[in-house]
Amino acid sequence: MPPILEARDLRKEYPGKLALKSLNLQLAPGEVFCLLGQNGAGKSTTINLFLGFIAPTAGAAYINGLEVARHPLDIKKHLAYIPENVLLYPHLTGLENLALLSSLAGFKYSENELRDYLAQAGLPPEAASRRVGTYSKGMRQKVGIASAVAKRAQVLLLDEPTSGLDPKASNEFSELLQQLSGQGTAVFMATHDIFRAKEVGTRVGIMREGELVDVRPTAALNANELEQLYLTHMQ
Amino acid sequence: MRLFRLLFYYEYLHFKASRGLLLLTGLLLAAGLYGIYYGTAEVARQRQHLAELPDLGRHQVAELQAKFPGPADAGEVGYYHQNYALHHPTAWAGLALGQRDVNPYYLKLRLLGLQGQLYASENVNPTKALSGNFDLAFVLVYLFPLLIIALGFNLLSSEREQGILPLLLAQPVSATQLVVAKLAFRLAVVLGLGVLLSAVGLAWARVPLDGRVGLWLALGGLYCLFWFGVVLLVTAWQRNSSFNAVALLGAWLTLVVLVPSLLSVYVAAARPVPQGLALTMQQREAIHGGWDQPKAETMRRFFAQYPQYRDTATIRERFVWRWYYAFQYLGDQSAAPLARAYAQGQAQRHALAQRLAWLSPALSAQLSFNALAGTDLPAHMAFQQSATRYHDALRAFYYPFLFKKVPFTHAEYARLPTHSFTSPSDTSAAWAGLGQLLLSTAAVYALGLALLRGRAVQSR
Repeated sequence: MPPILEARDLRKEYPGKLALKSLNLQLAPGEVFCLLGQNGAGKSTTINLFLGFIAPTAGAAYINGLEVARHPLDIKKHLAYIPENVLLYPHLTGLENLALLSSLAGFKYSENELRDYLAQAGLPPEAASRRVGTYSKGMRQKVGIASAVAKRAQVLLLDEPTSGLDPKASNEFSELLQQLSGQGTAVFMATHDIFRAKEVGTRVGIMREGELVDVRPTAALNANELEQLYLTHMQ
Repeated sequence: MRLFRLLFYYEYLHFKASRGLLLLTGLLLAAGLYGIYYGTAEVARQRQHLAELPDLGRHQVAELQAKFPGPADAGEVGYYHQNYALHHPTAWAGLALGQRDVNPYYLKLRLLGLQGQLYASENVNPTKALSGNFDLAFVLVYLFPLLIIALGFNLLSSEREQGILPLLLAQPVSATQLVVAKLAFRLAVVLGLGVLLSAVGLAWARVPLDGRVGLWLALGGLYCLFWFGVVLLVTAWQRNSSFNAVALLGAWLTLVVLVPSLLSVYVAAARPVPQGLALTMQQREAIHGGWDQPKAETMRRFFAQYPQYRDTATIRERFVWRWYYAFQYLGDQSAAPLARAYAQGQAQRHALAQRLAWLSPALSAQLSFNALAGTDLPAHMAFQQSATRYHDALRAFYYPFLFKKVPFTHAEYARLPTHSFTSPSDTSAAWAGLGQLLLSTAAVYALGLALLRGRAVQSR
C-alpha cells in the first residue's frame, strides 16, 4: 500500500540553526504515528513542512503522493490540522467558525450536521451557538477537532491536540482518533504525552535536536518501557 | 468564485461585529454628508450674492440719476458707477469648491485703471480661510484614505496575531485568495460609501447627469483603489498590525500632506510669479505719475493706441475727464508686461503642478475634481480674462461720450454692457488626472502582488 504521508530526506535549516535533519518517514493509511520530543526538538517544524507553511531546505514532503512544495493547495484537501492552541474568530459562534472552516475545505453542511460534528467532538450542545470569545481553551480545541473530523481528511496532523483538554475529553479524543484510524485515516501527532502516545499510537518516534533518533511499534513496548526509552534518548 | 463569495460573506460578518469600524464608517458618512451640505451651502451663498448684485447695480444707477438729474458728463458717471463682473459657479462647484473661496467670484469694475481692480477682493475671515473647505472632494481625497487605512491595516496580520491564520491556511485556500477577498469586501464598503455620498451630492447640487458624472465616479473609485493598493503593498510586507498602521499613516501623511506641500514650495520657486500687489503698485505709480506728466505727452501716447480720437480738441484746462481716463489707460499699459508675466506665471505654475501631481495621487485627485467642477486656477484666470474683456467693453462704451463730448443721458445706463461668466468643466485636465491615477494604481498593485507572491506567507 503506498504511503499516504511521506518525508524523503526532509531538511530544514534556519540561519545558524538546524531545525530538521534529513527526516525519512512513511505513514500508511490507518496508521497513528506519535512523535515525542522536547520543546524545540523539531516536531512543529515537521508538521509545518507537511502543511507547506515553511519551505524545506532540502528533500521533500508528500501527502497522498503529492509533493507539498509543488501542490500547496491540493495537499490541503487531503489533510486536516489541529494546532496546540486552536484559535478562532472570537466574535463568531462555534457553529459559524466550523461552517467557515468546513466550507473553505469544500464541504457544505446543514446546521444540524455541524451541530452533530461539534457534539461528536464533545462540545456541549448549548455552547454551539455562543460566541467563541466566551469559550475555554478546551472548548476551542473541540471546535478544532470537529473541523478536522468534518473535513473527512485522509491525513490528520496534530500538534499537541489534547493540550487544554480535561482527562475525560482527552480520553474521548483518543477514542475518536482510534475510530478515525479504523476508517483508514493516517494520523501524525506531535505530543509530550507518552501515555497518550502509547494508548493511540501504532508507532512512536522520538525526535531530538531535529533528528528522528528512534522509531518503535507501540505494541512492542508498555508505557513504562516507552517512558524509559524516551528518557534515555533525552539524556 | 464559491470560495470568494464565502470569504466575502465572512468578511461581512467580521465587519458587522466590529463596532469601531462601524462607528468610523458612520462618522465618515456623516462627514461626507456635512461636506455636501457645506459645499452646496457655500455655493448657494455665492449664488445669492451674485443674484443680488444686479439689484445693487440698479440701486446705484438710481442714485447716480438722482445725483445727475439731467445729461451728465460721462467721465463723472464712469468714475462713480460700479459695474459687476460675475463668475457664476457650475452645478459641480458645490462638490469641489476649489479656489472659489479664496479668489473673488465677482469684481466691482469702474472705468478707472483695470489692474488695480482685477485683484481686489472682499475681506475674508483668515481663520476660516486657514481651515479650508470641507466639501465632498475634501472628504474623498483626505478622509477616505483614513477609512481605508483603518479597514486595511490589519488585513492579514490580525488573523496572524489572533492565531487564526494557521487553521485558515490549513484549508485549501491561499493567502493571496484570502487577501483578495478581504480587500474586495473592504473595497465594496468604501466604494459603496463613495458612490452613496456622490449620488447624494450630485442630487443635492442638482448636477446634470452627463459624462462628467462617470468621470467623477471613476476619479473617486480609482483614488480609493490606489489606497487599497498601498494597503496591499504594506500587507505583503507581512509585518505586525502596529507596523502596518504606522507605515500606512506615514504613507497618508507623505502623499496627502507632505508631498503636496513640498511640491507647492518647489513650484513656487521654479516658476516665480510677480505678485498681484506688485502689479497694482506698478499701475498706481504710472497713474500717479500721470498727474505730473505733460498732458500733450499723455494724450500723444493715448492717441497712438486710439487714433480715432486724435482729432479731439487740445486740452488746455487744468482737469478734463478724457485726460484722466487716458492716463488711467496708460497706467494699465505700463503694467501690461507685468500682468502678462503674472498670468503666464500662474498658468505655468498650474501646468507644472499638474505634471508633477503623479507624485501625489491626492494632489492629482484634488486637481482633477477642481478641474471637473470648474473651480481650479485656470477657471479663475479665465474669469479674469473675461473681466478684462468686459472692462475693455466698458471703455469702448464710455470713450465716445468722453472724447466726442456726448452728454450721458439717463437712457444710456440701460445700454451699458453687462457681464456674466461661468467657467466650464475642464474635462481634459480631469482625464489627464485620471490617467495619472491609473498609472500610480497599476504601479502600486504590481509591486504589492509581486511582493505577496514572492514571499511565503508566514502563518504565525
